[in-house]
Amino acid sequence: MSKTDNPMPVSPLRQFWLKWRFHLNILLLLIPLGFMPKYFADAALARGDSGLGEREVGEVQVGPWSLRLAELRNEAPQLQGPAGYMKGFNAALCDACIDQVKATYLRIGKPRSLRAAGVIFFGTPYRMGASLPVAEKTKADAELWITMEGWDGSMHQAAIPLGQASPATLAWLNKQGGKP
Amino acid sequence: MSKKSRSKIWFLVHSWLALPIWFFVLIVCVTGTLAVVSQEIVWLANPDIRASKPTGDAQPLSYDQIVKAIKQAEPQTLVDSIRTPDEAHFALTVGVNYPDGRSVDVYVNPYTGVIQGVSPQFNFQAFTRALHGWWLVPFTNGYSWGWYLVSLLGLPMLASLVTGLVVYKKFWKGFLKPTLRLRHGARIFWGDFHRLSGIWSIWFIAVISITGTWFLIEAILSDNQITLSSEPIVPVIARENVPTSADGSPAPMIGVDEAIRIATQQISGFEVGFVMLPSNAYSHMFIGGRGWYPLMYQTANLNPYSGSVDTTHLLSHRSALEFVTESMRPLHTGDFGGIWIKLLWFFFGLLLSMMVLSGLLIWTKRTALATAAALKRSNKAPRPALAPRPIAALHSDTPEGNL
Repeated sequence: MSKTDNPMPVSPLRQFWLKWRFHLNILLLLIPLGFMPKYFADAALARGDSGLGEREVGEVQVGPWSLRLAELRNEAPQLQGPAGYMKGFNAALCDACIDQVKATYLRIGKPRSLRAAGVIFFGTPYRMGASLPVAEKTKADAELWITMEGWDGSMHQAAIPLGQASPATLAWLNKQGGKP
Repeated sequence: MSKKSRSKIWFLVHSWLALPIWFFVLIVCVTGTLAVVSQEIVWLANPDIRASKPTGDAQPLSYDQIVKAIKQAEPQTLVDSIRTPDEAHFALTVGVNYPDGRSVDVYVNPYTGVIQGVSPQFNFQAFTRALHGWWLVPFTNGYSWGWYLVSLLGLPMLASLVTGLVVYKKFWKGFLKPTLRLRHGARIFWGDFHRLSGIWSIWFIAVISITGTWFLIEAILSDNQITLSSEPIVPVIARENVPTSADGSPAPMIGVDEAIRIATQQISGFEVGFVMLPSNAYSHMFIGGRGWYPLMYQTANLNPYSGSVDTTHLLSHRSALEFVTESMRPLHTGDFGGIWIKLLWFFFGLLLSMMVLSGLLIWTKRTALATAAALKRSNKAPRPALAPRPIAALHSDTPEGNL
């Protein structure tokens, strides 16, 4: 019935396949088992059960306001298809500024104006996120600029070294060695 | 090639399609079956998710009333979305943010506005879907390879259906004369079971394998930046359209009920099933719901300051191709017509899982024996031509044994 019905000698490769083929099932089942801890860690991170992000940067004073900044993941920027390399940051506004701050932005390098303040944070003041594009040729001494805009039209800015905001990104940039 | 040996080949192909990975296929079928009714399982297990009426004539509250009730009970809590589940026995799912930075769903009674509970850390629904849909392999850059692994199974499943029907000669007779012999041993029983459930599941296997294959195509298209969607790309609200205030307090926004009133007034047949509140000062209020075609959603983006409807994505905007592609997911999950459709999908999902299992049982009872016998023979091959006639691998009392 099956091909093995013929009394031809079986090649070692085929014998190996015949002997081990059903172990493919075991290999396939090991995949979700292996990813399960990561799945639950990611779920906890998304819910905020494990804090604002994987690595807290700390409180950053921005004019009269301040925010708590965290790296969503303690890792280098990830390639996001045609968008290029993106790095996720989370933030929480200070209690006093929740009703005063209209929008918060992130940018590598000093913004020339409010219109070019960078990527905007989405979410509530308790937990908001922004996905920052990081060019591969970014200089290692670059600064991360935080711009906050008030409902009264005021604007305040602060900068922290990129290496302080995300050591993993700095390490990644250094490894690139200033690739063009 | 003779007709007989051609059908033998068909039969072989059918037997071997899922075999080396049968357990993987089985677990994908079982988790898919569970995922269909995962919401109902949670409903059974967790009273928080049930929408019990305080009195027989209680009316559901409006979204504004829900927001107000939450504000009253927990003044610090911020609401970011409200979703009315398709079935009235489920509580509202409200996405909230707490001052400690947690971002979770809470279950809110639609009649009283009482927060009945916080969604548990272990989200059974999400877990079964993730396990079934992408084998828990995380998405990093584009689709996860687990998604490809699972959705690839659509192809052998479709091939199993086609070869199964070719092998099962005059299968339509099985509808008229259903056969399920219980007293002739396990081999006969599982064979009958496999064929009988197979012919009654033709439509279901076709739906699941075609939609499953679509998930594969969808991933390939998306990972190559090809889109078939007519959905508008929504720009943020222009700076000049977002008010500032002299005293520095947030600009007033329209209420959710007002947004729903505007949208349903301007768009005929627009029904609202969910609202997502603006996620920053420059973003829209996003509302949506099912239209006359229950498999697809219609959505609208409203400027929360002026109430203007800035973009809409309605059934009338969809191309014929989109009606097909957007129907794939609900057809796969059975989540488009309430509990009875889900139960139907669940039943046939179980049947399909049993078909994988019964296929394997038939195989072990037949092909494995034949293979083992053949191997044994070939190991002793040097023996002169006295080798006995090959053991009949097929039973002659089953249809496929008479090929």
